Amino acid sequence: MAINDSPSTLVAPSTSTPTQDNAPTPASTSNRDNAPSPHTSTQDTSPNFTVKDGLAKMFKGGVIMDVVNADQARIAEEAGACAVMALERVPADIRAQGGVARMSDPQLVTEIMDAVTIPVMAKARIGHFVECQILQELGVDYIDESEVLTPADNAFHVEKHAFRTPFVCGCRGLGEALRRIDEGAAMIRTKGEAGTGDVVEAVRHMRTVTTEINKARGMSDMELRGYAKELNAPFRLLKETAQLGRLPVVNFAAGGVATPADAALMMQLGCDGVFVGSGIFKSGNAAKRAKAIVQAVTHFKDPAVLAEVSGGLGEAMVGLNVGRMAEGEKMAGRGW
Amino acid sequence: MMSDKMALDVHNHQMTRNIVVGVLALQGAFYEHLKLLQRAFREVAIGQDEGWEFVEVRTAQELERCDALIIPGGESTTVSLVAARSNLLEPLRDFVKVRRRPTWGTCAGLILLAESANRTKKGGQELIGGLDVRVNRNYFGRQTESFEAELALPFLGTKDGRGDVKPFNGIFIRAPVVEKILPVIRGEQASERAIDETVIAPSRSPEGEMNEQVLRPVEVMATLPGRSRTLKKHVAATGLEDEAGDIIAVKQGNVFGTSFHPELTEDARIHVWWLQQVKDMTQHEEKSRFP
Repeated sequence: MAINDSPSTLVAPSTSTPTQDNAPTPASTSNRDNAPSPHTSTQDTSPNFTVKDGLAKMFKGGVIMDVVNADQARIAEEAGACAVMALERVPADIRAQGGVARMSDPQLVTEIMDAVTIPVMAKARIGHFVECQILQELGVDYIDESEVLTPADNAFHVEKHAFRTPFVCGCRGLGEALRRIDEGAAMIRTKGEAGTGDVVEAVRHMRTVTTEINKARGMSDMELRGYAKELNAPFRLLKETAQLGRLPVVNFAAGGVATPADAALMMQLGCDGVFVGSGIFKSGNAAKRAKAIVQAVTHFKDPAVLAEVSGGLGEAMVGLNVGRMAEGEKMAGRGW
Repeated sequence: MMSDKMALDVHNHQMTRNIVVGVLALQGAFYEHLKLLQRAFREVAIGQDEGWEFVEVRTAQELERCDALIIPGGESTTVSLVAARSNLLEPLRDFVKVRRRPTWGTCAGLILLAESANRTKKGGQELIGGLDVRVNRNYFGRQTESFEAELALPFLGTKDGRGDVKPFNGIFIRAPVVEKILPVIRGEQASERAIDETVIAPSRSPEGEMNEQVLRPVEVMATLPGRSRTLKKHVAATGLEDEAGDIIAVKQGNVFGTSFHPELTEDARIHVWWLQQVKDMTQHEEKSRFP
């Protein structure tokens, strides 16, 4: 069964307490969090990686849905989303309409926060730390530094440790994931290819992460140093990942998930949960599809449930075939 | 995610039946609880005399096998909705309130095990119930107000009688709190129904020999002093009724709830303590059934 190959399969009794026993952990980065920050005004509640990573762990086994207004947020909440992502346009529309895609209007984000009681995430442009400061000020629960928006910096991502609000970032492979974690991301997702409804890129990115972790697992320290250079990843985090046999933070699927079967596929490949962007509100019956995807993520190993919830959902989003897209049209290439 | 191997048979004793402890795995940090259960088992070898089995629970059939259950942290709205759609809500109420099996809820789990809760989503949410308390669902606010605090947990020291218990690292993520201890009554908390934006759990009658458990008092197991004052500006005016300290752990008969997340630490002491409770309750029940 595919699940046994997954990087998040931490079943061997000898590795059952891996996170804080024998390795430098994400928590060890928290001393940086405690440093006075130019970005935050709060001195008393120093941000702590345990708390950031903790919320990500509470999302596990859940579905995070893109919503563009309070009504959609309520539909998502009623469907059982474990969080919503507030944005102005879903990726499919960003793709169709073009132009520069930016952080959402704070008023919209606030309306969505007021409409639901589940956590609310919002997207900031890659490298745009002022958008992140604004989102933190609004009180969003997570910031997605996202390639779906137009990048604001062509060389750097946001330094994320200093923020009290935790960050999730996209990756195409292990090196990219570990660079983001090194910058302070407390949660990772595959980039996939957003707004297409084609799951092939999310699968590619998840498989790449898995393969690269498996490769690192048997390596000596010296080999890991070489591999760290090859992946352009920090040695410390690569070593920790090799010891854990999985990414040291929660890892969701994103970018092209459109059906309950897509969601369960990503779960069986070892993802901890699923983001669904355009796949829900660009489909025929959003509420029904949203519920079905939530059920599929919980019961991802049970084909009987998957068969039941996949039926009668109406039109899926039309979709774009990633294989026929020009390189320049892809969003996943954004990020450094 | 984990393989089916996680549900490993930790210690298969030939004479006695295994005690099966389930972790509700609909959504949230269930894997973290399973890890700590195994650590609790290994570190203290609770299972000298009996076998233990730790399993994920997603269906009524899986719940049926369990002697005890943990409802983990996660998003309580999600867990409640998925439980209802997976035909698990009534079996859970049956498990907790009719058969009175040992059940522990952390954070979202505490919310679901409360007889009354407020600040839930529009239209409310389904509760399992079992604890005669009112829980304020997002008392400590949004993620930027999440925090860690050293907790004094006196119950961890009661077994060997030592007074100086090492503090427990309490991790509070968008955490709820027990806002009010309700009167212990048979049937639903009808007076709570009248309060705006408050939902209550439906009443279920316990099985005959379990009946005595129903009128057990709610014990406050731990409080967090002083924290609420510093957070006041973030807390909506919901009429907080306990100013002395926030109640963050309660126990009533077979049901235990904590508003923080022991499963996010590597400290298995609460799991060890709870497994001991499970063992005592399970053996007591078996004795009363098969004297």
